[in-house]
Amino acid sequence: MTLYTSRQIGLNGRHGGMIAPVIAVGGCDLHGPQSALSPAGVGAEQISSLFWWMAGGAVLIWAVVIGIALYATLARPRKKHDVQGARWLIIGGGIVFPTVVLTILLSYGLMLIPKLRSTGNVDLHVAVSGEMWWWRVRYTSPAGEPVELANEIRLPVGKRVSLSLTSPDVIHSFWVPSLSGKVDMIPGRENTLILEPTKPGTYRGVCAEYCGASHAFMAFRVVVMEPQDFEAWLTHQAQPAVSSGSPSARQGEQAFLVNGCGACHTIRGTAADGRVGPDLTHVGSRLSLGAGMLPNDAQTFARWIGHTQQIKPEVRMPSFGMLPEEQLTALATYLSGLK
Amino acid sequence: MTEPDANRDDPETPAARWHSLWLLTLGPAFWTMHFLASYITAAIWCAKFAGRAGSLETVRWLIGGYTAVALVGICLVSWFGYRQHKLGQATLPHDADTAGDRHRFLGFSTLLLCGLSFVATVYIALTVVFIGTCE
Amino acid sequence: MTDITQENLEQMDRSEDEAQKARLKKAWKTPEGWRYWSAVNNTEVGRWYTAVSFLFFLFAGVLALLIRTQLAVPNNDFLSADLYNQVFTLHGSVMMFLFAVPIFEAFSILILPQMLGARDLPFPRLSAYGFWCFLIGGVFVCGSIFFQVAPQGGWFMYPPLSTQYHEGLGADIWLLGLSFIEVSSLAAAVELIVGILKTRPPGMRINLIPLYAWYILVVAGMILFAFPPLIAGDLLFELERLLGWPFFNPEKGGDPLLWQHLFWIFGHPEVYIIFLPAIALVAMIVPTAAQRPIIGYGWIVLAAVGTGFISFGLWAHHMYATGMPGISLAFFTAASEAVAIPTGVQIFCFLATALAGRFVHSVPMLFVSGALAIFVLGGLTGVMVAIAPFDFQAHDSYFIVAHLHYVLIGGMLFPVAAGLYYFYPMADGKQLSERLGKWAFWLMFVGFNVTFLPMHFTGLLGMPRRVFTYEAGLGFDLLNLISTIGAYIFAVGVVILVWDVVRPKKKQPHARRNPWNAGTLEWLVNMPSHPWSVRSIPIIKSRYPLWDQPNFIRDVDEGRFYLGDAAEEKRETLITSTIDARPIQCLRVPGPTFLGLWAAVFTGGVFIFSTYHWYVAALISGVLGLITILIWLWTGTALIPEKPAKDIGLGVTVPLYLSGDKSVGWWAMFITMIGNMSAFASLVFGYFFFWTVHEDFPPDPSQGPNALWSLVGAGCVLGAWALTLLARQANRKDRAAVFYGALILAALCCVAGGLALFAGPYSSGLDPKSHVYPATVWVLVLWSLVHLAVGLIMQLYCMARRLAGRMTAEYDIDIRNVALYWHFMAITATVTVVVIAGFPRMV
Repeated sequence: MTLYTSRQIGLNGRHGGMIAPVIAVGGCDLHGPQSALSPAGVGAEQISSLFWWMAGGAVLIWAVVIGIALYATLARPRKKHDVQGARWLIIGGGIVFPTVVLTILLSYGLMLIPKLRSTGNVDLHVAVSGEMWWWRVRYTSPAGEPVELANEIRLPVGKRVSLSLTSPDVIHSFWVPSLSGKVDMIPGRENTLILEPTKPGTYRGVCAEYCGASHAFMAFRVVVMEPQDFEAWLTHQAQPAVSSGSPSARQGEQAFLVNGCGACHTIRGTAADGRVGPDLTHVGSRLSLGAGMLPNDAQTFARWIGHTQQIKPEVRMPSFGMLPEEQLTALATYLSGLK
Repeated sequence: MTEPDANRDDPETPAARWHSLWLLTLGPAFWTMHFLASYITAAIWCAKFAGRAGSLETVRWLIGGYTAVALVGICLVSWFGYRQHKLGQATLPHDADTAGDRHRFLGFSTLLLCGLSFVATVYIALTVVFIGTCE
Repeated sequence: MTDITQENLEQMDRSEDEAQKARLKKAWKTPEGWRYWSAVNNTEVGRWYTAVSFLFFLFAGVLALLIRTQLAVPNNDFLSADLYNQVFTLHGSVMMFLFAVPIFEAFSILILPQMLGARDLPFPRLSAYGFWCFLIGGVFVCGSIFFQVAPQGGWFMYPPLSTQYHEGLGADIWLLGLSFIEVSSLAAAVELIVGILKTRPPGMRINLIPLYAWYILVVAGMILFAFPPLIAGDLLFELERLLGWPFFNPEKGGDPLLWQHLFWIFGHPEVYIIFLPAIALVAMIVPTAAQRPIIGYGWIVLAAVGTGFISFGLWAHHMYATGMPGISLAFFTAASEAVAIPTGVQIFCFLATALAGRFVHSVPMLFVSGALAIFVLGGLTGVMVAIAPFDFQAHDSYFIVAHLHYVLIGGMLFPVAAGLYYFYPMADGKQLSERLGKWAFWLMFVGFNVTFLPMHFTGLLGMPRRVFTYEAGLGFDLLNLISTIGAYIFAVGVVILVWDVVRPKKKQPHARRNPWNAGTLEWLVNMPSHPWSVRSIPIIKSRYPLWDQPNFIRDVDEGRFYLGDAAEEKRETLITSTIDARPIQCLRVPGPTFLGLWAAVFTGGVFIFSTYHWYVAALISGVLGLITILIWLWTGTALIPEKPAKDIGLGVTVPLYLSGDKSVGWWAMFITMIGNMSAFASLVFGYFFFWTVHEDFPPDPSQGPNALWSLVGAGCVLGAWALTLLARQANRKDRAAVFYGALILAALCCVAGGLALFAGPYSSGLDPKSHVYPATVWVLVLWSLVHLAVGLIMQLYCMARRLAGRMTAEYDIDIRNVALYWHFMAITATVTVVVIAGFPRMV
């Protein structure tokens, strides 16, 4: 296992580019869409530099302790080591050194807590509710209207965002490793997480608290955009749905309403106003389907509607495999056209 | 073969008392009390009085007070421990089969535990140095 | 070593020696044939216990391989989500509850009496009962997966997922099966504390006891405060699942976080309950390997006691992500850093001892070195995740999986393997193979690191725990594959280790006595061993008597110390004073019986039938269990000896019967009640927890339990308590009429108190299903009622004992212990009433 660092690790985590060490472990790049070690937010930056400092220290301490152990068990000095010296080892290595190191580490850790949790100077509020097994997201539009979306969060770069995290069913945990640490979503409580993205890009978030059968399939994308792009996106999302109007899409809209999909899903601008499942007003514009599981294209959409239960065990939505093939295709065309 | 409770080699032969075993736990008990009092005070303060982003000023003073009491207590206990440890002329490791060494050993262990409790109590107190609100 | 110079003995001495041995042999004979299973002696029970815990370990290990196979490649469908969730839940639960904790109880039951030169632990039947409970409960829990009804809520069982969303039997099997096993852990804790404090050999003062005993004393003490909160939590949990009392249901005022608090108040100390006994094995092996006394005995005592305390201030570091106030995070961060200090000290004590000694290499020492390399890394990542900000990222990711396996496998499994190689000759009289041992070690060591080292990065690359599969291309495909390969290498090592233990050893010669040239008492054992364990109970003058005391083995073997004879052919061991270990009593310990087995079967019945909601069967089983336990107590405890005192040799005569705080039974009751109080305290904590969560908790006093009835209830219970104390005094003065009168009145007061306590919430119509407030009030009342019922049985039992002539003014263990119980009963009832009726009027 090789571990090589190409750049200096800095404790001051404000400048993401400075601190992200390019590291490969056994050929694996530490830059992933879900990596806590390639930070793109203030919280993640501070935590990842804390990690590198601690990891370096830990490796050093480990090597010294193991070195002493190997020396003690393998070396055969002619004269036995004297007991008094060994006692000093206990006091020095077992008491003085750890107390000093731990005091420093503790002080730094304690300093970091208010930094990561301070709810002051917030530019944007977003409410996220973790539900079995998807994410309900609520923005307030520039016009002050509530906008409900699902399974995708977009944030303006460089702004402090306060997320209010809740759950109506079981405990979930909201985690976008590249932006910051996780916070649980606990039924009956409301938690807050502060995000401050520093780099535009698309990141992956997941549910980190075991929440039942499809816990593994509860992901989402976070897109960090330039502020003006973000404003435009949010304004668009606040609009009602616009169908492409093609014959197939019209047939799909019919199928959607006739088959009772509207009992669970909302498509603003149509009669569908269900509140149980994700809002689908602009589902075609999202980056993934089934809460971060699948690529978003018409073919996959048809497969998802027809085989929901097989793809995502125990999900609340039944499989609509009994629908005729052309209805499924029409549904998929209609929905993926809702950009 | 000797008598089971021969203490001839030790002039002072301190009596075996229950409290000597309890003395051992007294230092850490101060830490426990300090920890619980601090945690409970802060938790109740934030939940019932100050609110989510409330200030911890009052709690800081309270915890400061708890810390003073706990540290004085720990120092007292460690003084008892030290006196026990230093009884007579014997030095470490206190492993002789005598009432004196048993007495010294318990004193020494009490002293060590007080040292640990002292550091651990200071650690708990450090929290309010760095954290000023309930957030 | 066997240089007993028989020539020097006269013929008469020799025949006397033979006669004594014959009597000892008769007294300590292990039952044969099918009656073998009625054995209660620590050597038999300890061996069964060890074997069964290892079987559970292997079972959970196979589950681990299933997990790793499923995760070898992304989007795998080897296991379904449903089955995977059962598998990882059982893997964690079985490893923690059926292996890691029980293996320490098993080892301790097996080797502790030998280390203390005792013939047995003070309550052998209790050990046997604990073992049978463990076996029945364990098989019940593990068996569930073969019917696909295993629990699937994770080993932490967080509500509301496992209270409101898992409708099958799984969660009930977990709760009831494991509660049952927790009871057996508490039994072991009682047994071990009393064993260490009271059954040491004469002269083994508190500064001379083996370090193993120090650690076990601390750990058993920790069990008393750690397990009861979980039992209380289990009670709340089952009341919600079976009866709909909404403790964790937020729609009715409950809070899922209460469970997390109770679970982790248990769960974090449990890590140290697992770790300390394993490090205790290391503390025995290292001095032997270095061929010198440990350096820093006092420091190790500091480490054990200090860790024991501080480990109770860490529980919320499992809850850093739950959104608690920053200041709370800070307290637990601080305590979690502080605990690293005592943990580190002991490692440096071992290093110092190794440095100052002449090191002898052996397989046990190889495993100890491996343990050190692994555990130190686990400890260091522990210091890292203890810092709340870092844990925001690491929590519930594979980084934690790596960390906890480094801690548990380095801090527990490797030391246990070392202990297995080290102590195996004690149990079997044969040595394990050095060659196989080395193979097992290197495969396990390499396999372990290949499995778990990459997981640190898997976690930081963003892989959450408890996912049954993962998407390709997120950066952890290769890391997962490496981990899986490592797991199989590790498994091969374990298989070799198991083979070394089970391979037939008929032709292999017995090991020589004290094969490692150790200095502590357990190596007095003969190869093969005798059922009576030590020929005579020695006088101890050193921490390492086999090294320091001249002619020690010979003197012991020739029966020159205490209890070298069993004149009455009864099983006897020596009770000594707590601090200085002066002989104070010759304790008769009970012999083989099936009562422990039956009691375990019936107690198990209560839990198992309740799981299936067969309440009538559960009730019948409970009554049968109660009867069995009463027969056990009646025929096997507080027996009046045929003479008041006995000559135990060397001109010392000690009593055969002691009561009050001098008797071991009193201590057992005291310790049990301390554990009981911590369960009760957890329920009270629940009440105040809801007070901090809700604005209107408790509601207006008029909606609470009726104050008058509650006060009457508390008054009656206090009356029953006072009358029980009066009965104790009257019995001591042999005033029979006052004794019976007081006890009959006490029993009536007890019943009246129970009824009045019940009337408190009942008369004001509190419905426990409606909201968490009435549920919390009712659970406190219910707790008191159950304890009053037990107290009533105790009062009646004392009357019957005196009537039957089994209790007299002088021989009064029963009433003394019952009076002790009633002290705690009085506290319970008073606190209950102050909380449910008093507190709403104070705020």
